Amino acid sequence: MLLLPKFDYEEPKSLPEALAVLSELKGNAKVIAGGTDLIVNMKKGTLKPACLVSLKKVEGLRQIVREGGGLTIGSHVTVAEIAESATVAWVAPVLARSASGLGSPLIRNRATIGGNIVTARPAADLPPALMVLGAEAMLKGNGKGRSVPLDSFFTGPGSSVIETGEVLTSISIPSAPPFTGAHYVKLGHRAALEIAIVAVASRLTLYKPDGVIVDARIVLSAVAPTAIHAVSAEKALTGQRPSEELFAKAASLAVTDCSPITDIRGGAGYRRDMVNALVRRTLTKAYHDASGEKEGGA
Amino acid sequence: MKKLITLTVNERVYEVAVAPGRTLTQLLRDDLNLLGTKEGCGVGDCGACTVILDGKPVNSCLVLAVQADGSTIKTIEGVAIGDSLHPVQETFVEMGAIQCGFCTPGMILSATSLLEKTPHPTEQEVRQALSGNLCRCTGYQKIVEAVQEASRRMKK
Repeated sequence: MLLLPKFDYEEPKSLPEALAVLSELKGNAKVIAGGTDLIVNMKKGTLKPACLVSLKKVEGLRQIVREGGGLTIGSHVTVAEIAESATVAWVAPVLARSASGLGSPLIRNRATIGGNIVTARPAADLPPALMVLGAEAMLKGNGKGRSVPLDSFFTGPGSSVIETGEVLTSISIPSAPPFTGAHYVKLGHRAALEIAIVAVASRLTLYKPDGVIVDARIVLSAVAPTAIHAVSAEKALTGQRPSEELFAKAASLAVTDCSPITDIRGGAGYRRDMVNALVRRTLTKAYHDASGEKEGGA
Repeated sequence: MKKLITLTVNERVYEVAVAPGRTLTQLLRDDLNLLGTKEGCGVGDCGACTVILDGKPVNSCLVLAVQADGSTIKTIEGVAIGDSLHPVQETFVEMGAIQCGFCTPGMILSATSLLEKTPHPTEQEVRQALSGNLCRCTGYQKIVEAVQEASRRMKK
């Protein structure tokens, strides 16, 4: 049986109290939310915080709020709540889709959106969808707050711009422009309890239903140290009229944007081929939704 | 340092002093002597430790006992109604959905939780609801059939 090491546990009752505790403990404390990643790493001995700080008594971190056509999601909202939320399904269906493929039903009932972001795993399930949606992370530190676009949040496997003493409190998703569609595909060996071999999220915005592409976003996951935009593919799509040939061209460009490794889950060459296939597939579906009747978001 | 927590397990209130490093699985098994909850992998992959925490099935090996302070928990010991088995327990026994039995408590809790939310699930919905619970014996077919049969019996 895997045992946990010794540590202290604090349950501050407000955010200012939590920030004070964290700043006092400096780097020796970690925030525990769902614990589905943290407790595993502590059992395996890869993380040894002297103190865990739970924010379960802090109010205002567990809400999904619709704001001016967009969404604000509290960092402690669970992945199951996101997968099942009618609001998320309407405003950001691509996020609901990626949430419903994370871990297992048991994991989703504990895991939180904030935890899935701050652990900064290269194959994390939610960041690709959040990045194509243009999401921003709200960080609160002792006496200051700042908002960081998710595009510039991750700095490497397990590392991000979050500083010691800072807490991720919410994630904001702006409203999507009209004629926008998005899609996400996670490739794994099985449907549950799987870490992506490759995952791709794409979003297209058209000038009008039969018009040119005015905005293209493609995010590749598990094929670089962090989730990345397929920059040259995005550039090749912008201003162009959608077609199968254009999507095929963008897909081959996306392959040149990533730098996959070979590991137990898949070879680098296989991953490149899958990037090509999944970029084409997600673009085709995103275009279909963008040009369709559906109002609402991506 | 140990913390004093209060929690309700199978409709009984317990007040326990626990160290922060104890998981909910350990609390249930070692302190409350509720041995129906099993520990398999200990890292959230197998689902043997499934319990219902505030209405939702979770891996109790990934919940700290201190995190469960103030919570309401149902374990496999709380599923039967008095001396009569829950329909899901009945069909598991009758239809060969139990072989070695190690995954059974978790399977039954995930299944009863599904049927409370979705009384008439499709086969796909049953398989999805049980996708966090691994069984090395049955090949799942008889488990899925037992859950579907329980759903039919509960309709009556």
